[in-house]
Amino acid sequence: MGVFVSLHAQNKQLLYGFKDVPQQILLNPGAQVDHRGYIGVPLLSHIHFNAGITGFSAFDVFADDGKDFNQKIRDVVYNMDAKDFFGFNQQLDIFSAGFRVNTSLEKFVFISFGLYQESDVFSYFPKDYAVLAYEGNFNNLNRRFDLGQLNVSAEVLSVFHLGVNKKINSKWTVGFRGKIYSSIAQLSSTENNGAFTTEQGTNSFLNHIFDLDMKLQTSGLSFLDEPNASEGIGILKKRLLFGGNLGLGIDLGFTHQPSPEWTIDASLQDIGFINYSKDVKNYILNGYLEYDGIQSVFPQVVSDQTAQDYWDEVKNDFDELFKVDSTTTAYTKWRPIKLNSSVSYNFGKKIEKECNCLDKSDPTFQNRVGAHLFAMKRPNHLQWALSAFYYRKLFKGLQLKTTYTVDAYSFKNVGLGMSAAVGAVQFYIMADNLLDYQNLAKSQSVSLQLGFNYIFKNNEN
Amino acid sequence: MKNRFFKKKYLALIIVLVVCFSCIKDTDFDQATPITLTPIMEVNLVEIQETSPSFLDSSGTEMPFISDLIVLDVLSSDFFNDNLIKAELVFQVTNSLNKAFQIKMDFYDLADMLQHSFSIDIDNSPSHTFLVTEHTEVFEAMSLAALKASIKLDITITLVSNATSSVLTDDSDGSIALTSKGIFYLEFTQ
Repeated sequence: MGVFVSLHAQNKQLLYGFKDVPQQILLNPGAQVDHRGYIGVPLLSHIHFNAGITGFSAFDVFADDGKDFNQKIRDVVYNMDAKDFFGFNQQLDIFSAGFRVNTSLEKFVFISFGLYQESDVFSYFPKDYAVLAYEGNFNNLNRRFDLGQLNVSAEVLSVFHLGVNKKINSKWTVGFRGKIYSSIAQLSSTENNGAFTTEQGTNSFLNHIFDLDMKLQTSGLSFLDEPNASEGIGILKKRLLFGGNLGLGIDLGFTHQPSPEWTIDASLQDIGFINYSKDVKNYILNGYLEYDGIQSVFPQVVSDQTAQDYWDEVKNDFDELFKVDSTTTAYTKWRPIKLNSSVSYNFGKKIEKECNCLDKSDPTFQNRVGAHLFAMKRPNHLQWALSAFYYRKLFKGLQLKTTYTVDAYSFKNVGLGMSAAVGAVQFYIMADNLLDYQNLAKSQSVSLQLGFNYIFKNNEN
Repeated sequence: MKNRFFKKKYLALIIVLVVCFSCIKDTDFDQATPITLTPIMEVNLVEIQETSPSFLDSSGTEMPFISDLIVLDVLSSDFFNDNLIKAELVFQVTNSLNKAFQIKMDFYDLADMLQHSFSIDIDNSPSHTFLVTEHTEVFEAMSLAALKASIKLDITITLVSNATSSVLTDDSDGSIALTSKGIFYLEFTQ
């Protein structure tokens, strides 16, 4: 049985490599598996939320410090830059299960599969838009307001996946997972260019340059126009089960254990794409205009044109400039690819003082330390996180993992995870950014996940 | 065994408690007053460039004035009505004609009623040097309301003769140029 609740950016450093938790295989299809199988309860086997923001925390704005609220917002805006971002990710497992195909402990194949729903929202902070909104172009002569800073994407999709994990020998385990994506709704505006600039004019005070090359792509949003809510939900349900815009992807991974003490592993997730062809609506804003005023021509002088004609012309130019064209052209987007990799060292075998043939105590290493790297492709940058971790088996059915993570959100992220098994039912809980729990308002990201699994253990256990 | 089981439970309980009793301190979420943005937009407005023939009729004699009319429906748009809190119209006139002028700006509403009017006096330039005259018209309170009610701008350039000025002919030296910009103080409250 499984219940997951989590808040953080997509890095799951606590779950990655946590062998006692079956869901770790979703992060690395080539992870080592030491159970015969598992079943997750439908809709409850993996509930996961995470959110993070760089540049400020709620405390910066809502601190009870007597400062003017508008001034604090302004300070936050001016302290942030166009590299700051906001990210939200949510996953819900609809079903998941896995089983071992043959029974040899040395060589086996482990099949896992499931269907999960995912939401992902990501946006950079459009600093120049904010400055323009705060100041206008006054006192900003020659400043190029970069319209390309608008970079936002949001998507809800479902993913059916089937993974094959093969333990080749005691040193190598490899695996891959095939994925079919079904996008329920998607919108993105990530390919914007252009600028708004006000310059000193040659024969006039000012010359305004509008250079617009902007695009918003959407698919699957027509349900919003559906007047009947239940029909709208019906459409969404159908899309959840392969009725949306489809795509394909794979995850790849391996674990290498050159010696019993050392482990090296790595995985790539979501090497894939979605082709958006159904229910597509794109909006395009494209144009260039230099405006340096309305020429007054005085009709008495030149009879065929008045200032009014000139003004009408200018108005038409502006109407043309800001005219939004819409198309239904299909488009393809790559999934945000994710890399996980870790190196770890096992130590501290448990040794019974007296030989006891009936003793079923664990002969494996009790401790593990290592370093873990996470990286994820974002539209304009690589989001990364580096963790140091320590894993400890306290008892046979109780394991702990603690992590210290450095990433774009924080340099003081301490996480703690625990897995406990009572019979076949395994329970685990993982929390991230523990130091911030003293005052959540100061946190720029929070993470929490917990769950239950029904695990078929090795016969030998 | 029982002891171990309790230990596990105890540990899980601690973690759950940490999570549940985490808190939000020293904050006041009620202070979220509406956010006010006050951008100032600077926009180029009317440009005028005239030489002496512009002020002469077909027979080559001076006209008393020339005028032009612009329908500026932007001024009375909802956008300006709702968000404009102050406006400044800045004019710069450069005259090198040996003729004085009065440039008059009349703002009319939809019913052709005069809402606001001002004029700029321009000296003549006997030696045809560039004489620069600047004028800033500030619209606040009553005059701002008048500006918002306006839809038409009538520009009249009246020729003014004085002791040192000369009569304009087709080949009089110099020119008169007007450049203008609007500085619009906006306020958005969300």
